[in-house]
Amino acid sequence: MNTLRHPVSLGLCLCLLTGTGALLVSSDAEAGPHARGGARTSVNHAGGGARAANVNRGATANRSANVNRNTNVNRNTNVNRNTNINRDVNIHNDIDVDVDNRWHDGWYDHPVAAAAAVTTAAAVTAAAIGSIVYSVPPSCVTTVVNGMAYQQCGSTWYEPQYAGTTVQYVVVNPPN
Amino acid sequence: MRHAICLALGLLLPATSAAQSDAPPSAAAASAAAAVQPEAVAALERMGTYLRSLKNFTVHGDTTIDLVMDDGQKLEFPGTVDYKVRAPNGLQLDIRSDRKERQLFYDGKTLTVYGPKNKLYASTDAPPTIGALLDAASDKYGIELPLADLFLWGTDKAPTASLQSAVFVGPARIGNSPTEHYAFRQEGVDWQVWIEPGAKPLPRRLVITTTDDPAQPQYASTLTWNTNAALKDSAFTFTPPKDASRIRLVEVDAVAVGGATP
Repeated sequence: MNTLRHPVSLGLCLCLLTGTGALLVSSDAEAGPHARGGARTSVNHAGGGARAANVNRGATANRSANVNRNTNVNRNTNVNRNTNINRDVNIHNDIDVDVDNRWHDGWYDHPVAAAAAVTTAAAVTAAAIGSIVYSVPPSCVTTVVNGMAYQQCGSTWYEPQYAGTTVQYVVVNPPN
Repeated sequence: MRHAICLALGLLLPATSAAQSDAPPSAAAASAAAAVQPEAVAALERMGTYLRSLKNFTVHGDTTIDLVMDDGQKLEFPGTVDYKVRAPNGLQLDIRSDRKERQLFYDGKTLTVYGPKNKLYASTDAPPTIGALLDAASDKYGIELPLADLFLWGTDKAPTASLQSAVFVGPARIGNSPTEHYAFRQEGVDWQVWIEPGAKPLPRRLVITTTDDPAQPQYASTLTWNTNAALKDSAFTFTPPKDASRIRLVEVDAVAVGGATP
């Protein structure tokens, strides 16, 4: 009985793994719907300094920072329908539910987050120092150097950072 | 006969003003000055004054947020927001959705962002008051606190002069509580608030419609308050769990911000 069960389990495992791989590939190809923006979560904006009276501009400024991060990844194929929006997010990343994926610009994560394009970027053997991705492959190893956490993926090292409340990973030289 | 005419006029006037408030933004802008009801502004100010009088409170929000896809389709995501607040310099924010959890701790000296699932935290020096913290979080780090209005109403950061429209909609109930429903319009947002009448004019529900996106996504929250909460100092100071790792909190790119701002 046992000898029978083992091959079955193994077969099942392989199926699941294959299925997972296929899902990743298809998500790369499809890209899925892209979120172009979300609802504001407050009427008034705290920040903005001199722009305080002009409530919308403050938000625009902050979101623009996201634009910059996207540019680094070179995956801004979305049309900017509003001047303040350039969020590049892909769907089909159910695998990474509990991982912190990229999401629009606030506290609210959602299924339309980047996994596919980002994963591809991380797989490139010689990632450029300073380039930014929003997730790293699961094979990466967390290494703490001088009290700070890094992700080591083969010969490539990533430094995770909070950009707003989103975790981004910057390719860095191996830390000492 | 005269009475009948007066009555008819009396009925006509409210109907006209109601029609104005439903008008599209361009038309509303033209008649903006006429649409600001003093009683609605006064209710907003009473709420703001009361909120600023609270010293120790917690508020729980059941929230939904719309995201707009490139083709204009809106998707809605539910979540919760929990604030623990000690004025003027203690704040803890817990935010949860089915996809993400984040905590924010502020004790008057240090701001920490923590992900309970990813076990990553980042701490930085912070200004001495919640008001200044909101500025710094937004301007320096690109962190917009949800429902930031709870800390801005009753201050010059939420000037009633920026109201383009202010209307009392009518009495309503949120849960079992009687409330009064108001509708406001500001640049970029139409918003509604349900305020408890009486000595504790708390906002019980807030709906914010983003009007500078043609899809008009909404953020809605129903709020549950404890205005006399027993809060410990430890609520505001982050103590990293053993398995948590420290990372950096990056500042938003000032050059990019300046360059992209019209």
